[in-house]
Amino acid sequence: MKKISPGWLLALLLTLCFTLATLFVPRAAWWNDVPRAADWNTGRSRSENVFKLLLGEGRRLFGNEMFDMADAYFHSGYYPSIFDQPVTEHDVAGPAEGKTEDEDSTSDDFLGPPPDWIAALDRHFVPNRHTHLSSGGPSGHEKASSVQEILPWLKFATDMNPQFVEAYRVGAYWLRRLRMPAQAREFLFEGLHNNPGNSELLFDLGWLYNEDFHDANRARNVWRAALRCWQAQDDNTKQSVQAKRLCDDITINLAHLEENAGNWSQAVKYLEMTKQVSPNPDAIQKQIDEAERKVTSDK
Amino acid sequence: MNTIWALAGVVIKELYRRKDFYVLFVLTAVITFVAGSVQFFHDPNIVRYVEDLCMLLIWISALLITIATAARQIPAERESRTIFPLLAKPVTRGQVILGKFFGCWLASGIALAVFYLFFAVITGSREHYWPVADYFQAFLLQWIMLGIVTAMTLLGSILFAAPSSTVTILFIVVAGILFLGRHLNTVALHNDEPLRSIFYTIYFIIPHLELFDVRERVVNDWGLVNWLDCGLAALYAAAYTGLFLLLTWLGFRRKSLT
Amino acid sequence: MDAILRTENLCVEYRTRSLKVDIKPALKDLNLSVRAGEIFGFLGPNGAGKTTTINVLLGFIPPASGAAYLFGIDVRQPIARQRIGYLPEMTYYYKFLTAEELLRFYARIFGLPSSEADKRIDRLLKLVELEPARKRLIKTYSKGMQQRVGIAQALINNPDLLVLDEPTSGLDPLGRMKVREIIQRLKNDGKTVFFSSHELGEVETVCDRVAIIHQGELKTLGRVDELVAQHGVNLEKVFLDIIGYQLQPAL
Repeated sequence: MKKISPGWLLALLLTLCFTLATLFVPRAAWWNDVPRAADWNTGRSRSENVFKLLLGEGRRLFGNEMFDMADAYFHSGYYPSIFDQPVTEHDVAGPAEGKTEDEDSTSDDFLGPPPDWIAALDRHFVPNRHTHLSSGGPSGHEKASSVQEILPWLKFATDMNPQFVEAYRVGAYWLRRLRMPAQAREFLFEGLHNNPGNSELLFDLGWLYNEDFHDANRARNVWRAALRCWQAQDDNTKQSVQAKRLCDDITINLAHLEENAGNWSQAVKYLEMTKQVSPNPDAIQKQIDEAERKVTSDK
Repeated sequence: MNTIWALAGVVIKELYRRKDFYVLFVLTAVITFVAGSVQFFHDPNIVRYVEDLCMLLIWISALLITIATAARQIPAERESRTIFPLLAKPVTRGQVILGKFFGCWLASGIALAVFYLFFAVITGSREHYWPVADYFQAFLLQWIMLGIVTAMTLLGSILFAAPSSTVTILFIVVAGILFLGRHLNTVALHNDEPLRSIFYTIYFIIPHLELFDVRERVVNDWGLVNWLDCGLAALYAAAYTGLFLLLTWLGFRRKSLT
Repeated sequence: MDAILRTENLCVEYRTRSLKVDIKPALKDLNLSVRAGEIFGFLGPNGAGKTTTINVLLGFIPPASGAAYLFGIDVRQPIARQRIGYLPEMTYYYKFLTAEELLRFYARIFGLPSSEADKRIDRLLKLVELEPARKRLIKTYSKGMQQRVGIAQALINNPDLLVLDEPTSGLDPLGRMKVREIIQRLKNDGKTVFFSSHELGEVETVCDRVAIIHQGELKTLGRVDELVAQHGVNLEKVFLDIIGYQLQPAL
């Protein structure tokens, strides 16, 4: 049998490589594709990436794992395993209102006292204290306060599961905290590209425009779109606590924008919507009364 | 001791004349470079995931090299019959076991040192910060752990028929210990008897290799482990290594050479 | 003269997997004695127990009963092998080493200082004509070259007793001649050689005494010339007579 010369073999391999590259480059280009304005307002979703190519729908199983990795990184590795007490809410989403990160923690001391000498020895070799990267990490070095270290895992989470809205929101939140608003906007665009009409992402985008880009007009337009998308949901979904809270946030922020612009009647309209969903309707009513007085005095 | 070091030297020569180490090193390097070349959100300072990935690859590669090298020592000597001219010299079977152990352990240590050097270069070039003491401690602890794995694998090579069986079984056992070892007591608490006793027995019998895994501390910048604790862990490792080597010697003593 | 190699009622048994027979005796009450300075041939048909005897002498397998001694030391002690060299029948050496590395490794086991080891390695490689190939890996060697490496490693510690298992097996006539020369040279140096072989012509030429073993039992032991004179024929006929083989009459 005649031997194939190494030169021909190399030529064959190079041809194969270039053929594969030609096939994959157009697909890989979708990775960095920034969606057009129309995409996030329509029902059309494109969420193909290399993970989908390689793993198919099974990739979604890894989305939560990647998100947990981000949370673990945020806590510098001090994180419960599946064998430990379950964490009731993710600290990565940020502290509750009125609390700092270190005050608001549901994964504070899941380890408990060591049950035996092996576990006691083991504690010395693993992260053994609750810390947050945003507060300086375990050593307090400037290097350790590197919240951006969680970002790759949030990106992986969304690559694995493009419908993982919470990952986009958390990523955008921390990108804003890291003074990277352009990247936060890009990330939210990607989220909307994969989840068109998602009111949570639209709300965060509006917040970004309002707080970081100081573009009230754009913020207003995005929040109005968020409200429309929220209202388009079915009634059962709108009754959930989370949905009501979102509507509260959207309408209260729209009301503040209108107040700042002097559009009191429009502000009253939004405040009325807020009152429907707010847990504190009396306080909202006071704001409505104040706004109506302004409407009357303008007349 | 001369005999033991002579035997160890042969094992080390075998390692660097085989392709395993070079293939694994190149694979680790390529994956790390590719991972490190990706930029997330245009921020070049994000480095921890590269460290994490690189250290994971180092752990996998080191375990592969150690288990594969140790698993074939005694069976290859018997299969290729090089054990005969060796034992025809004034060499005891115990010296053969010790020589193979030290050879495999030193060889894995050399490979590990190269990996850690690469790791230090890669992370230092991104972070511009070299916690040399942390890296050295991580390397030392992992090398100590590989001593236990080497001894376990040598025992396995005496008990199981083929090197491939030894490699497979040992890899599963080591991976199981690393992933589940520290949680077995928790699992035991959540079960009733007799499972509780079984889990507790396993928990106290197995060598807790995960003690020596300080990747989380290195990647997340927790600083050095107390050297006293490292010393205790080293004693713990020495005890298990000695036990496994003793069992290996007892098994090899009675084993036919053909 | 004290015996360098001695066995006393040596018995070795193998466990079989046969239904009928549980234990198979490989050696039965073997009594051998080899004196210093002689060339001793150990003959027998295939399966007679020659390799088993050598395996016991080298400590590879324990005897079921009886004892074996090298230089008056029980063979189960590793120190008994300090002054012997062993050439196995098949060439079993580390393929990933060079000849020089292999010899250096064995020299280190014997505790030779490195300067002395260097001198011996040079001398031995010249003796076995492997000087040009000393830096090549053993896996690239031919069968004859591997056999010569074997002879070199057997001589690295300048042994007083050389144990050779079929030393000319697989060698061409030139190779066999060289082995005979080496054996003769060793005898001239006062060394003792104990070897098993099927080449009766060779044995008749070089050996002082021979032992013939058959089915694990020692059938005869004595000087070659005495045995030949006693039976009135050549060594081959003596061998065949002793093992009970009847030659077919010519047609």
